[in-house]
Amino acid sequence: MSSNEKTALTKTGQPVKKLSKADLDKMSLYSVIEQSAFSFERMQAMGFTESMLPAFKKMYGDSKEDISEFMTYNMEFVNTEPHMATFMMGLILSMEEKGEDRKVIEGIRNGLFGPLAGVGDTIFWFTVLPISAAICCSLAQDGSVLGPILYIAIWFLAAISRILFGRLGYTLGTKLVTSMSEYTKYLTEAAGILGVMVVGGLIPSYVSIAFSEDLAFGMEGTTVQSVFDNVIPNLLPLCAVFLIYWLFKKKANVLAIIIGIIVVSILLSFLGWM
Amino acid sequence: MEITLIQGLLLLVVGFICGVDQCWEAFYWFRPMVVSFFAGIVLGDIQLGVACGAVAELSYLGLLTVGGTVPPDPLMAGMMTVVIAYTTGQSPDAAIGLSLPFALLAQWLGIMWNTVFVALAHRGDELAKKADTAGFRATVYFGIFVKAATTGVVVFLCSYALQTPIQMFVNAFPTWLIHGFEVAGGILPAVGLGLLLMVMLKTQNVAYLFLGFVMATFLEMTNVLPIAIVGAALAYINFSHEKKADDVAALMKSGSVAVMGDDDNEL
Repeated sequence: MSSNEKTALTKTGQPVKKLSKADLDKMSLYSVIEQSAFSFERMQAMGFTESMLPAFKKMYGDSKEDISEFMTYNMEFVNTEPHMATFMMGLILSMEEKGEDRKVIEGIRNGLFGPLAGVGDTIFWFTVLPISAAICCSLAQDGSVLGPILYIAIWFLAAISRILFGRLGYTLGTKLVTSMSEYTKYLTEAAGILGVMVVGGLIPSYVSIAFSEDLAFGMEGTTVQSVFDNVIPNLLPLCAVFLIYWLFKKKANVLAIIIGIIVVSILLSFLGWM
Repeated sequence: MEITLIQGLLLLVVGFICGVDQCWEAFYWFRPMVVSFFAGIVLGDIQLGVACGAVAELSYLGLLTVGGTVPPDPLMAGMMTVVIAYTTGQSPDAAIGLSLPFALLAQWLGIMWNTVFVALAHRGDELAKKADTAGFRATVYFGIFVKAATTGVVVFLCSYALQTPIQMFVNAFPTWLIHGFEVAGGILPAVGLGLLLMVMLKTQNVAYLFLGFVMATFLEMTNVLPIAIVGAALAYINFSHEKKADDVAALMKSGSVAVMGDDDNEL
């Protein structure tokens, strides 16, 4: 090698090709499909994987083993705000380009998407959507076609802003990665801490279970829900997550769990408990 | 006014195109503002479409799909508000209320596909094992097509063919049944989180789960970012402590012989 920087090799011994800026931008635009084939089990995993595949194949050629490994870890559960997904794709591809240990990339991927979802939701769902809707609705209420046309234009720009998010993730990634390789062991651990803590934080806001306010507990004025709330609020969502986690540990089927939840919910609603 | 067969078929196309975008949430064509606009163009009453779009967009602003939840369907709400206003001559304000059963129907269809598509993910796992990228792409596109086609067909049926019967049917649902689905919708995200913990949770980091949980429960936060920052800080603290411990251990190992030697000399 002429340069000091070592070039990563594929499992078939070929050097990993670098992504051009055009390749990266193409990937970012293609990532509009990120939420395709959404399912309750893996959420965005399929579209997330598919978005990166063409770019990944540019780098790794037809090295089946690499493609399979790459697809497998990206098929794990992922759910984030779509623009932030593109940011993560840029980051992941820059690390793949450097031949970083896939265990580390996997850890970063799994630890990052939750916090990034918060950032993306704040920008797009809670800022751009209300403001654009407020402006365009005020135009449309007078029957002006400018309302919907402006709305379409704003969100078109938001959609193609993925190019910026992809580049940001990619450049940030290459800087991060050079100093990372010696800290592999620590990083996996740190990503685990960050990820698990964020999951803990997501439980109260994502999962909602509460008994009906009419469901009394013995004494007058005491509801079953208030008893739980006095122990700790959101106790039921926390228990639900752990119960489901435990069922998964026992190798329970995802579909059975989902159908079970629906059946139990309807039953509880029928009894007037929830 | 009556919706002709051709208009019904064109509404099917609008439903399909906006349905594709609903899978992606990329261009926001699934929002009532845009769906109603297109429906107004098809029905030849753009003014009505734009006005209905404004009402429906505001009504469904708070119902967000944040975090993989499925709210009453904004696409169907936007579509049916225009259709009902157009066919019955009601005002957009009245039509938005009447469109709710259809939005709920589409919501349940959405939940159904999100459940059925677990099978696609499992197929994706097999294809990943075989590194079959062409098959993988086809599976993803199949998912988009099925979901968008369902939306298109449902739009056609509700607008042209089955408008009255479906409304009667949904209205006949007892409230406990509808509420039961709402309760389930609140619990279902726990499945995703439980799955995530399967990958990440270890005995040495379970304490952080409770830390994040307690923060989110007792502190007022609009999003999970503050927890992520604290999590990153704690991860860094943990890292620097471990690094120091490992460095000292490494130093002890390599340096211990020399230190012992010095002691021997002095004695």
